[in-house]
Amino acid sequence: MSVNSAVVMIFLPLIMAPVIYLFGRAVEKTRPEWITTAVNSAALLVMAVMWIPYVLTVRQFAVNGPIELVYGEVSLVVDGVSLLLAAVALALGTLVVFYSKAQMSGKLGDEKYYSSVIAMTGMIIGLGCANDLFNLWVWFEGMAVSSYLLVVFYRDRPSALEAGVKYLVQSAIGSVTVLIGIALVFAYTGEVGFEALAAANLATPVLLGVGALFTIGFGVKIALVPMHTWLPDAHAQAPSGISALLSGVVIEAGLIALLRVLGVLSGDVMPSWGVLLMVLAAVNMLLGNLMALRQKQVKRLLAYSSLSHVGYMLLGIGIAIYAGQPGGAQGGLFHLVSHGMMKGLAFLAAGALIYAASGASHDTSQDHGLTLSDLDGAARRYPFTALALSIAVLGLGGLPPLVGFMSKWQIFVAGFEAQSVAVAALVVFAALNSVLSLAYYAPMVNAVYRRQPSAAIAGGVDLPVSMQIPMAVLTLAVIAVGFWPRLVYWLIVPAGSALSAAFGG
Amino acid sequence: MLAILIWLAIGLPVVGGLVVAFVGDSREKLQHVVAVGFSAAAAVAALAILPQAGADAAVSVSFGPMFGDLTFVPDGLGAFLAAVATVVGCLAVVFSVDYMAGEAELGRYYSLVLYFIGAMAALALTSNLFFLFLFWEITALCSYALISFYNDDPKAVAGGIKALIITQFGGVGLLALALAAYAQTGSFEISTFLAAAPSIPAVVLSVMAYGALLAAAAKSAQFPFHTWLPDAMEAPTPVSALIHAATMVNAGIYLLARLYPAFADVPGWRTAVVLVGVVSALIAALMAVVATDLKRLLAYSTVSQLGYMVYAVGAGGVFASQFHLLSHAVFKALLFLAAGSIIHSLGTRDMRKMGGVGRQMPFVRNVFIIGAIALIGLPPLNGFWSKELILEEGLLHGPGWAYALMLAGVALTALYTLRGVSMVFFSEDAGPHGHDAGRAMKTSLGILAVGTFVTWLLVGSFSRMMAETLPLHGLHELTIAQLASEISGAPATYLALGAALIGLAAWQWRRRIPGAQQSPGWLLAATESSFGLETANRLIVTAVQKAGAFLQRTQTGQLNWNVAGLAFGLIAVLIILAWSV
Amino acid sequence: MMSELSAQSVQIVFAGIILLFGIGLIGLMITRNLIKIVILLQLMAKAAILGMALAGNVAGKPGLGQSLAVTVIVVDTVVAVIALALAVQVQKTWGTLDLKDLSTLRR
Repeated sequence: MSVNSAVVMIFLPLIMAPVIYLFGRAVEKTRPEWITTAVNSAALLVMAVMWIPYVLTVRQFAVNGPIELVYGEVSLVVDGVSLLLAAVALALGTLVVFYSKAQMSGKLGDEKYYSSVIAMTGMIIGLGCANDLFNLWVWFEGMAVSSYLLVVFYRDRPSALEAGVKYLVQSAIGSVTVLIGIALVFAYTGEVGFEALAAANLATPVLLGVGALFTIGFGVKIALVPMHTWLPDAHAQAPSGISALLSGVVIEAGLIALLRVLGVLSGDVMPSWGVLLMVLAAVNMLLGNLMALRQKQVKRLLAYSSLSHVGYMLLGIGIAIYAGQPGGAQGGLFHLVSHGMMKGLAFLAAGALIYAASGASHDTSQDHGLTLSDLDGAARRYPFTALALSIAVLGLGGLPPLVGFMSKWQIFVAGFEAQSVAVAALVVFAALNSVLSLAYYAPMVNAVYRRQPSAAIAGGVDLPVSMQIPMAVLTLAVIAVGFWPRLVYWLIVPAGSALSAAFGG
Repeated sequence: MLAILIWLAIGLPVVGGLVVAFVGDSREKLQHVVAVGFSAAAAVAALAILPQAGADAAVSVSFGPMFGDLTFVPDGLGAFLAAVATVVGCLAVVFSVDYMAGEAELGRYYSLVLYFIGAMAALALTSNLFFLFLFWEITALCSYALISFYNDDPKAVAGGIKALIITQFGGVGLLALALAAYAQTGSFEISTFLAAAPSIPAVVLSVMAYGALLAAAAKSAQFPFHTWLPDAMEAPTPVSALIHAATMVNAGIYLLARLYPAFADVPGWRTAVVLVGVVSALIAALMAVVATDLKRLLAYSTVSQLGYMVYAVGAGGVFASQFHLLSHAVFKALLFLAAGSIIHSLGTRDMRKMGGVGRQMPFVRNVFIIGAIALIGLPPLNGFWSKELILEEGLLHGPGWAYALMLAGVALTALYTLRGVSMVFFSEDAGPHGHDAGRAMKTSLGILAVGTFVTWLLVGSFSRMMAETLPLHGLHELTIAQLASEISGAPATYLALGAALIGLAAWQWRRRIPGAQQSPGWLLAATESSFGLETANRLIVTAVQKAGAFLQRTQTGQLNWNVAGLAFGLIAVLIILAWSV
Repeated sequence: MMSELSAQSVQIVFAGIILLFGIGLIGLMITRNLIKIVILLQLMAKAAILGMALAGNVAGKPGLGQSLAVTVIVVDTVVAVIALALAVQVQKTWGTLDLKDLSTLRR
């Protein structure tokens, strides 16, 4: 039997992460530029190679449908949702490795950085394929552990450590909460596999209690209000490439994990999950926007805006569950993809400006928080980066012809198709939130197009091409998919139907 | 062939915008040439669509179930507005050759203007509510970016963001309308919606109707959303002329006119539309009476004139509203561009510092006066015919109180226009010396001045085109002869002319009117706060900011509280779930 | 292999799980010392491990429950190691383990 491409897709990164680490450790202590460049190239090669099994798996999926891999007790299933999450993780991971070359050049710890990124990407891919509760938790925890290492990558920086402590403690509590939930399900049914659980009959109070535990546990990672408090710290303090990954795919992986478990906790309570997600969506949208409105630091502002964008995803999926609208699931997942592109781009652009402003020395022991006033005049010195940042934030604000407009629209359509006054009102509320968000996105655009540069910009260094190419790719994607949403339908349509099917739609 | 023309009218400006950006700011001359070339070609294409106007989709591209088909229908309303957008757009670009000469970041300026022209033409031509909303938002985006083109000026930035947020807020009404239409009919096509409207539940239909009014009022700067337009005057003047006088602000009127057959029977809707129009027309005219900033004067006047068009739709005069839209686009663009050449030459917008500029700029003075006469509504200029048509429709089909108030508006219009003309051109020589407009400026001013004399002659073909391609609107052809005889025979005409004369006389003999020597204090105060709406805006902004500041306190930065948040979250989720079962 | 537990023992272990989880959670709301926080996290993790083992017993699959518990122990150890390493690093850069000081990121 030939090796299944799906197996390679899932396990290759987990094998390669330690390999990259050892490769980087081969030369101890000293970090001349050629070494870090070599490590970067090796990591990039790994990321590039990982696309081969991915593409093969997509083809196999297109022909045969979901792919099931069984290893004794454990089974993994590659379905539409897995492929969607894997695509986002792989795409952002590849771009971030490319992007990080200059930041890591001649720096200690680069091998840890790249191997953690690769491991995290692998864990996320695995999380998407998990087919039982416990397995899901293991992948989830693996992702969390690799992200802890990345958040505190600047380990001499006090603020990064502070953020890391909060992130770790809150995540660990969430993880225990999930475990308790799993233990309860296991105790009541004797099963942890998704298929078996979907068929099992659990009493309503148990279902609700367990659902609440999972919502809290995974909710920490998804940054559901009020479990969100770690996110602005961690996302702002992590290296910018990592911020892009954390905002663009890690919180979304948590969301997928939550949806997987809620999907198997079926029964009469199904509409309750929809209601819960929609209520959480409303809270997240409003709070994220109001908090972002008054931020002075660019990365912190972007972190808060992630809260509100998680709200849009929850809204779409909540509509799908509550009203049985498959379009809502598609819309929510479309927004997951589009948020990954836009927020990834925004963080990469902000990171590029931070890199430029901190100069050639690139001292990482202090937090070079890029403030909004530091953005002034960026367009004159860094026209492309300024354009990329503008397109990213305008897209996040939901303006056409950018991808954020299209994905929000799809969610809204599903909301009105539900033919429910409450859901329609929620959609209008979400649209008003988009208007509100422009109050903090637009000033960023105005700032970068000022003529008078800030001190940080005026003294900035040139940006390397290795930073600009990932930004260019994402900028093009944000515009192209904004013009022609069908470009990503191959991803979101199967994922949407898999999700709807799980929720009995 | 028709499809190609439509793609050219929409696509050429967009391509032009890309080319201008690609040319780069180091080659200024080439940028001017490219911008003028592409916008002129688009205008020619749009004009060529007019004779082939029809009610069927000439272009249709499928975007899938959630978006519908991108369809373009060159019917009377759409083809006409697309032509206005591209032609005035072209003239504004020509004017910019002089006005923006030597400015930094010309590429950004021209790109945005050209994208705007393309989006506006597409907005006019599309017959799909989703894409209508999409292009609606793109025009708002371009408008925002151009208002705050001078990003170093905090007033320009504030004005741009204000315009963006207010129009987007109104846009939510259009969003709800489009979504509800899809939920009810399974299609985004306007024609499908208009045909199905009688069978849509009354509650839903009235929500949609008022949603449309909300969107239109915000976009067309009507009461209570008129506050953004005066602040948008920080934009370069050709932009004010193009976007904030002649085209984008008309989109609201266009929307009301297009959807009129569906909403005409919604209880209270027509009255609400009339009310919005009357209030906007009157308060804006009052504010114009005391304005001292030339561009703000014109902005108030735009709000007021748009109020006449909204009033016309509410009174059932869909054709009258579009006819006045055409006249207004021409004469207001003329006034704005003439004002632009004065401002460009003097470096100030304060009318009190302009006195006597007429002697140095005779050409500009002459065309400005032509525009002013059209604005007042004196024969034989285009503003006369269209405004009389509106008032006649109002007298015949609208409520009497509204007609009386609109007549008062005519008098106020005459008053503020004459006041403006005399302050700018005929008071004592007070200000710095200016030079007359350049060649490019004169070209566009001249064309618009000629237009002010002749566009009303298009009434026959324009009304025939609309009557033939918009069957649901119940319009009929109106030839020049019919127009002339109707207008000259109607008592409404003489009432309106009398009102205008009263207004003119009030300015002429203001010294004999007790208490009229100085602008009344209450009016100045009301203008300052935009009749209380500016205060309301500020209150909303403060409230939102305060809410944000309050919430910020919940982010304590202390791990103990963060963990408490988790525990609280668990309780909250359990409560929500218990409630939802 | 553990034998089947009596109903009473199940209740006792269950109460123990609740107690461990509760002490951990409440402790984390009031403790400010980073080392104590790591210990409290461990306490909560023990609740989860106990829960897994108990669940296996209750469900009649003690073998599976135990293997899940062992996996949790392994993963949990990794987290504990990272947490302690973090604490060491905090002591080095901040010169304190008091979380009251580690609250500069706010608003």
